[in-house]
Amino acid sequence: MVKHQKIIYLSLLVTFGLVLHIIENMIPVPFPVPGAKLGLANIISLLAIILYGIKEGLAVNILRCIVGALLTGSVSSLLYSLSGAVLSTLMMAVVYKYFRKIFSLVGISIIGGVTHNITQVTVASIILSTFGLYIYLPFLMVIGLFTGFFTGLAATFISQNLFVTLKRFNLPEEERMENETKLS
Amino acid sequence: MVTKGDKILIVFILISAVLIFAGFQVYGFGRDKTYAVIEVNGQPYQKISLGQDGQKLQVKVPGLLGESIVEVDKDRVRMLYSPCPDKDCERQGWASRPGQLLVCLPNRVVVKIQGDRAQNDLDAVSF
Repeated sequence: MVKHQKIIYLSLLVTFGLVLHIIENMIPVPFPVPGAKLGLANIISLLAIILYGIKEGLAVNILRCIVGALLTGSVSSLLYSLSGAVLSTLMMAVVYKYFRKIFSLVGISIIGGVTHNITQVTVASIILSTFGLYIYLPFLMVIGLFTGFFTGLAATFISQNLFVTLKRFNLPEEERMENETKLS
Repeated sequence: MVTKGDKILIVFILISAVLIFAGFQVYGFGRDKTYAVIEVNGQPYQKISLGQDGQKLQVKVPGLLGESIVEVDKDRVRMLYSPCPDKDCERQGWASRPGQLLVCLPNRVVVKIQGDRAQNDLDAVSF
């Protein structure tokens, strides 16, 4: 029973991520820099990491990327988004696990966003085999800083509410969640 | 909610972004070497490498009608003088980017700007 509950919650997270992914694609980005986006789905990957852990966070994010690419019809961007998602999730999970005392969720989200941008630029420059794409990196880093800041704030508010809600359903992670509520 | 570590992180990222940007501004982003290839009547006549540290010289090119003079100024090239009647080639001005052409049809003189990796010049990429 508990196992099914976890699967259901994870798939709910994937669905939320997908919805954010699609909505985000409809919002025009005011920056003329390719690869700049809001990264709303980052909220969900951050939540998955907080609520369940590295493995589950990776699973949620990879699934979200694959299905999202199929739904929005830009499969060629899968390479960029998947690599960025995997690395940023790993980075966020590691930072969350070991440096939770130093960084709040906002800082972790910023790290995730900037890692995502760096990975995307690297993958794009490998694919196009031009080093010149790195000229975009400083702009992408600053944009990732701001979007990461706000997605981190959103994740903080959501997680505060979500811990209370999940507690009511008596998940086995109760102890962990109690620690979380104390920290945040 | 925002801890001290976050603030340090934000400042660090901003500084590194500025540093990378400044680095690109100072060192350029590794522009490929470009060459000016002068052709007469379809046959390659001379190949001159261009660049900021390049030389400033004038090349006399024997064409069909007479001698054209091609002027090279560091990283750009122009047709300084041509014996042709309409002087269209002189009015083309300077050329510096790979893919640009200076053509004098009556005199059969063509100056092509070539990059090291011209086949890799993408016009646009969608993703």
